[in-house]
Amino acid sequence: MHEVSVMRNLLDIVEATADREGAEKINVIHLRIGEMAGINYESLKFAFEILSKGTRAEGGRLEYEKVDLRVTCAECSHEFSPEELVFRCPECGSGRIDIISGREMEVDYILLDEEGT
Amino acid sequence: MMHQINVGEDLRDRNREIAAENREMLRSHGVFSLNIMSAPGAGKTSLLVRSIPMLSEKYRIGVIEGDLQTTRDAERVGALGIDVYQIETGGVCHLDASMVHSALHQLDLDAIDLLLIENVGNLVCPAEFDLGVDARVMLLSITEGDDKPKKYPLMFSESSLLILNKIDLLEMVDFDLEKAKKEATDINSGIEMIELSCRTGEGIEAWTGWIENLISESRKG
Ligand SMILES: Nc1nc2c(ncn2[C@@H]2O[C@H](COP(=O)(O)OP(=O)(O)OP(=O)(O)O)[C@@H](O)[C@H]2O)c(=O)[nH]1
Ligand SMILES: [Mg+2]
Ligand SMILES: [Zn+2]
Repeated sequence: MHEVSVMRNLLDIVEATADREGAEKINVIHLRIGEMAGINYESLKFAFEILSKGTRAEGGRLEYEKVDLRVTCAECSHEFSPEELVFRCPECGSGRIDIISGREMEVDYILLDEEGT
Repeated sequence: MMHQINVGEDLRDRNREIAAENREMLRSHGVFSLNIMSAPGAGKTSLLVRSIPMLSEKYRIGVIEGDLQTTRDAERVGALGIDVYQIETGGVCHLDASMVHSALHQLDLDAIDLLLIENVGNLVCPAEFDLGVDARVMLLSITEGDDKPKKYPLMFSESSLLILNKIDLLEMVDFDLEKAKKEATDINSGIEMIELSCRTGEGIEAWTGWIENLISESRKG
């Protein structure tokens, strides 16, 4: 269910870009999805197949790369990947942690066929 | 000819911009706001219904109800004589900043001190979308299982307060309260917790007290 809303929003971004470029066909959509974004890739792919029907992205390929969870300590600036989802700095023990990557739901790039080319 | 276009746009970018507008709008009208999130049925509406009569003694309250497609919750809250704005998301499984933005234009913000937003029942997506509120609250009912923090970490990491609801059922279910609390603290060391029952009323004063504290802090600037 979640993945359907996410895919709808991602396709909005893709369609707007394709409009700007005057594209006839969207061949590839390359996503960056954070490990902690709570997205099941199989469900996302399924949502893509349903939602892209009748659009320029129909029959196109959905690709993705996973972005690892990285955080920094707000006390000592140490950067690390939390193990077992324990958000505590291994250097200084602080629990004040900021997420720097791992929540992405991003359209990285798309491959288009342009009009008249 | 195939042509690559770099996009680099995260679907949360636009939401973040609108959330900032909401935050500014609420601040300029002196409205304190909370985004209340949980899995379906954890007790969000019950918590509102139970605590609004007490909170109304101190504050003028407005409520935004996010619901997939019914007006049931809005009716339960509206029965208390409170100004309720209903957002039917039409199947979208969370509220986002733009939905709340339209609602803010419909509410009389000068007539409200405290805005309570009930998000759509869901443990995943509401956590992704900042609405521009002052604080986020999540409910975990003890009938859901004590392994939820590790399964849905983002919700726990984004919330300032965790309400452990339906505590009246503790003896009837297999829920390790200490384990759930420890896992929540592992993810968010600053998270505050209240054990509560909408049925017996246990913990309701801790909840209204928590809100009062935050409001007086925010009024100090
Ligand atoms: N035993 C017990 N039942 C509760 C408690 N709080 C809520 N319930 C019951 O749980 C059910 C769901 O409560 P709601 O308040 O509708 O939950 P909700 O989170 O608003 O649900 P959605 O809006 O559908 O996501 C109702 O049948 C409530 O009576 C509690 O503290 N103890
Ligand atoms: Mg409800
Ligand atoms: Zn540190």
